[in-house]
Amino acid sequence: MKVLVVDDFATMRKIIKNVLKQISLEDVVEAESGKHALAVLKTESVDLIISDWIMPEMTGIEFLRVCKGDEAYKKIPFIMVTAEAQKDNIMEAIKTGVDNYIVKPFTPDKLQDAIDKARARVGK
Amino acid sequence: MDVKFINPFVMAAQTVFKTMLGIDASMGKPILKDVRATSGDVTGIMGLVGDRKGTIAISFREKGAIFVFKTLIGDDCTTITPEVVDAIGELTNIISGQARKEFEKANINLKAAIPMVIVGHNVELNFITKIPIISLPFNFVADNGEKEVMFLDFSFE
Repeated sequence: MKVLVVDDFATMRKIIKNVLKQISLEDVVEAESGKHALAVLKTESVDLIISDWIMPEMTGIEFLRVCKGDEAYKKIPFIMVTAEAQKDNIMEAIKTGVDNYIVKPFTPDKLQDAIDKARARVGK
Repeated sequence: MDVKFINPFVMAAQTVFKTMLGIDASMGKPILKDVRATSGDVTGIMGLVGDRKGTIAISFREKGAIFVFKTLIGDDCTTITPEVVDAIGELTNIISGQARKEFEKANINLKAAIPMVIVGHNVELNFITKIPIISLPFNFVADNGEKEVMFLDFSFE
């Protein structure tokens, strides 16, 4: 399974990659913004998107909106990562069609569970 | 300082150690600091504003910081590099986020700035409050079996 990790902070992308490695997901492509992620999606076939919320150029919610509105990408399970369990943010993401969300800090088990639920939601 | 301000930071530090680093951190005796300076060699510092205001500083000695980097990122490292500094910045961000979540439970809403990371021991820090700083030492065992400590210094009013 190829995972697209989107975060403007390189260290956070590495942390997520390290957690993914612990659940045997080592095929990872990275992007530093929603805009960059859309460019990556044009060249890479990915099976899962894990995106940060706050990013420059195109935020996570804007990127989610584009993905869920595009026939080519809407079936890719999309997990939003947020630092704070803010109900308003989460509700907005759910309304926009996010398949699951995860709040930092998280364990490998918690991420695996979030992935399983997101994949089930899109029927994968 | 109200004692109810301590618990969110304790909960946050211990939760983040358990989830992100996979280890337990036991809190030692809190110390009142009269020196406004870094406690360790690599220190993430962050301002918090909102219903209350304060500053939080997360500080590790060199070996502890390297352990955090290796555990979070999964790469090897023997000295303080820019990547180690960034990892401590992100850990500070995550601990601060978790603390804000704990404060929300007490109906105290806070916003955080982007963390800054300072390398060097006993470097002067600017806390945005004038009240004393409480230093919470969190003891943990690094991968080589050595005992390490993370200092969570904060001033909050």
